[in-house]
Amino acid sequence: MNSTNASPVLIVGGGVAGIGAALDLAYCGHAVHLVEKGRVLGGQVAKLDKLYPTDHCAFCPLWTDIKKLREHPLITVHTSTKVKELKRVDGRLHAVMVRKPPVIDESLCVFCGKCAGECPEAAIAPLGDHVYPPSYLVREDICNRCERCVKACPTGAIDFQRTEETSELMVDDVIWASGFTEVDLTPLPEFGLGKHPDIMTAMEFEEWTAEAGVNKGAIIKKSKPSVPRNIAFIQCAGARDQRLLSYCSAVCCMHALKQAQWAIRRNQEIQCVVFYTDLRTVGRDYYEYSLRDISGSRVRLIRGRPSLIYPLPGKEGIAVKFENTMTQKREIWGFDMVVLNGNIGSSLKKKDQEKHFSLALSDDGFVNPEADAISRFACGFSAEPADVAESVIQASSAAVKAILAKRNK
Amino acid sequence: MSGIAVFLCKCFGEINRVIDLDSLQKKSEKNTSVVFSSVCESLCPADDIAKTVSRIRESSAEKVVIGGCSHLARGGAIIDGLVHGGIKRSAIGLVDLREACAWIHQDDPERATEKAWDLISMEIAALHYRRESDDVTVSVYPEAMIVGAGPAGLSAACTLARLGFKVHLIERGSSPGGMLNLISHVYPSDEKASEKIKVFVDEVEKNPLIHFYPKAKITAITGFAGNFRVQVSSSAGEQRLRVGAVILASGARVWLPHGLYRYGKLKNVITQMELERQFIKGPREIKTAVFIQCVGARNSERPYCATMCCPSSLKNAVRIKDENPDARVFILHRDIMTPGSVLEAYYRNALAKGVQFIRFEETNPPEMMGTENVEGVEVFDSINGMKRKLDCDLVVLSTPLIPNDDNVKLAGMLGLQLDRYGFFSEIFPLHPLETRVDGVFICGSARWPVSSGQAIIQGEGAAAKAAALLGSKAVSALSLSRVPGEKFGHASVNAEKCTGCGNCVAVCPFDACRLQKMGKKSISRVNKLRCKACGNCVSVCPNGTVQLPEHDYRAVAAMIKQAFGEEMAL
Repeated sequence: MNSTNASPVLIVGGGVAGIGAALDLAYCGHAVHLVEKGRVLGGQVAKLDKLYPTDHCAFCPLWTDIKKLREHPLITVHTSTKVKELKRVDGRLHAVMVRKPPVIDESLCVFCGKCAGECPEAAIAPLGDHVYPPSYLVREDICNRCERCVKACPTGAIDFQRTEETSELMVDDVIWASGFTEVDLTPLPEFGLGKHPDIMTAMEFEEWTAEAGVNKGAIIKKSKPSVPRNIAFIQCAGARDQRLLSYCSAVCCMHALKQAQWAIRRNQEIQCVVFYTDLRTVGRDYYEYSLRDISGSRVRLIRGRPSLIYPLPGKEGIAVKFENTMTQKREIWGFDMVVLNGNIGSSLKKKDQEKHFSLALSDDGFVNPEADAISRFACGFSAEPADVAESVIQASSAAVKAILAKRNK
Repeated sequence: MSGIAVFLCKCFGEINRVIDLDSLQKKSEKNTSVVFSSVCESLCPADDIAKTVSRIRESSAEKVVIGGCSHLARGGAIIDGLVHGGIKRSAIGLVDLREACAWIHQDDPERATEKAWDLISMEIAALHYRRESDDVTVSVYPEAMIVGAGPAGLSAACTLARLGFKVHLIERGSSPGGMLNLISHVYPSDEKASEKIKVFVDEVEKNPLIHFYPKAKITAITGFAGNFRVQVSSSAGEQRLRVGAVILASGARVWLPHGLYRYGKLKNVITQMELERQFIKGPREIKTAVFIQCVGARNSERPYCATMCCPSSLKNAVRIKDENPDARVFILHRDIMTPGSVLEAYYRNALAKGVQFIRFEETNPPEMMGTENVEGVEVFDSINGMKRKLDCDLVVLSTPLIPNDDNVKLAGMLGLQLDRYGFFSEIFPLHPLETRVDGVFICGSARWPVSSGQAIIQGEGAAAKAAALLGSKAVSALSLSRVPGEKFGHASVNAEKCTGCGNCVAVCPFDACRLQKMGKKSISRVNKLRCKACGNCVSVCPNGTVQLPEHDYRAVAAMIKQAFGEEMAL
């Protein structure tokens, strides 16, 4: 295959889909520029503690692929970078990218931790335990700019004066792989998000209970450091709901089953209840994974969508009002923690895109593959709600379509 | 004995504020195999790596022990830098003095230093026995074989041909199309299946790079990534092919519900595929139809969801409604499986068209009424808690896809793994189209039940993976290693010592060990391109003939001896 360094493909998003597409393109001899707005690669999968249905860690396989990506001569990675403009010029695309360099430059950081030790405000923390290469992060909302860390850093990696850098690039095509973000649930007040510290979204719960996270895998309440007696997992929170997200977010049923299973595995005292509409377990081994939970009896599956979730007045717990549609009973149960699952949507937002480039998005916010050179190729959550396997399959397909489009030029 | 250089990193005070590095330096210099030992301010910045490389080069040292931080902190970057500088991976030993000694034992500097010395001296002892595996490079035969000409195989074949590769498309039936030949329309686009295949079939006929083998069977496959030899038997006789990559797209088959819901006894109790066949013939006016989901699926015998049955029922239910808006159509289900935005919209469309959904429990399935023809269905609606009688003149049973019987044979010939149901296993989680045999890729329902649309996407994806291999002129055994820069190497056999017992052949999960006649005796040979350095063969070899050069058992023995003394050594 002829090498076409001069006409690279731009990939927006450095999660599993973006990484997969970049590797497939590069292995076929095509140059790639991968743009990631965050500081690290791996996207949402890097934030996951465990992967269903094998309960493996996400980090090791991800690290291997990130390493391959970083070492490949045809791939240029731009982290902390956003695509600002994208214009069609003579059948090609002109991209303007803006990089906001982080205060701590990870290429110079040796992860010695001196900066964190010096910081009087505790504003410096590791970028995350599941991050490669590891580095530190300055929380600019807490930082008081005393710059003691700058003096403490032995390699000169810390600099508060770095300014935004703009760069331009001509590319042949763009593949959208920008993944998902959580959608704000506060417009639906019945879910009670924000009304109690122990009502949280699934991604917050994942971070809160991750083995490599703040609590080192312990399942404890946010309101006070004690073990919850029971946890409610609310499925389709905001999803399959015409008021917010009309679609099914596809990954949440299995995600909740995984979280519930790990909660009871880590603490023998905890009981879990999953409130679901349809338990969608369509992938390899997914259905058996759900059976494993039921047979333990400490994870109960109840078909019903709670109508109201609220902090119990004058007490510690949280009330969940629901109709069990299998018994037709309306009940109110008390829980110590409530996890809301389902409110995830594509990171590409119509209102943001229109300012800079016209990307064709469906009503649900997913890329509409059109003959327009800007929105031809998408994979992962940019294209359709998808789990890890589905996302990387779509990524390979998008990569090969981009190669064929180049050949036909 | 080749000399070892020892570099100890202070990490700007992070290590030496706890560990007495000077004492470690002195101790290591006393070791006879150490050429020199040096304490450095830092080792990981690029300048330091270059300096380390040149200091090793200038000395008589051939191997190096780095005392620094953990592999996932900066240690890995130091190793990568040294390898780029021309030092063999097997000649580098990394000892974690920062996280594993200085940080975790900061309250006890003395014992932390003791532990640090144990680790360094063990690494020095081990390095003596570590060697680099010999690499082997084979040229890649730039052609692919695709097994199965259904939507996945056709899509893979056309994609590879468009990329310029010659493709051999093997089909057990007489014409291409696979499952698409058996259905009327595809979901969710509602295009005609025949039109969907036609695009592919035209391309298969027109593109000279695609060779189609109808009514063909694979009788033997041997080889490895870049160079598989295949024997195909078809109406044209026996043919031998040589291909660089294999894509398995052999699909799955539909399970028949014999004995369930009085199928085969009552007329008008038919399967989804029989309804499809009726629809291919033309429109059919149906007054009342009941679809039953999860027939033979999500039960103890087949505990999985076959993905495509719910959307297929939605498609056909809507079709009945479209042809006869007055028709009464019920879908009896256990959960409606329409994940995502497109399929969820497809489900909502069926609801809007007036298709009625009734949920039942696995323990309380619907019952058929009637003696010769089905006259009705009795079902316990678990959502309103009532028994309902539905009059109907058609019952459609949605049955799952099950794996093809010849998956076992194909897996055996290629050294592949099947999952517990009999579908081809993938590399979890980030390489779902790849298998544990390099150069063999899977797509479509042979991998896991999927819709034709997804099968086409998977075919394209598998083509991308195959194209990457076929596009490279040559492939080397070490480059197939899954962890870049981390050469695990591969097993090697000492031909003189091998007794030909065959233990290694029995335990090799990758079909890399084979017994080969050499003169009068048989000896084991390891195919380096298939070997994944799992070490199973090493552990069952009775006389230590099979070894992993990078992980020689003597290295482990030397480390144990160093740490615990002679009595603990193997």
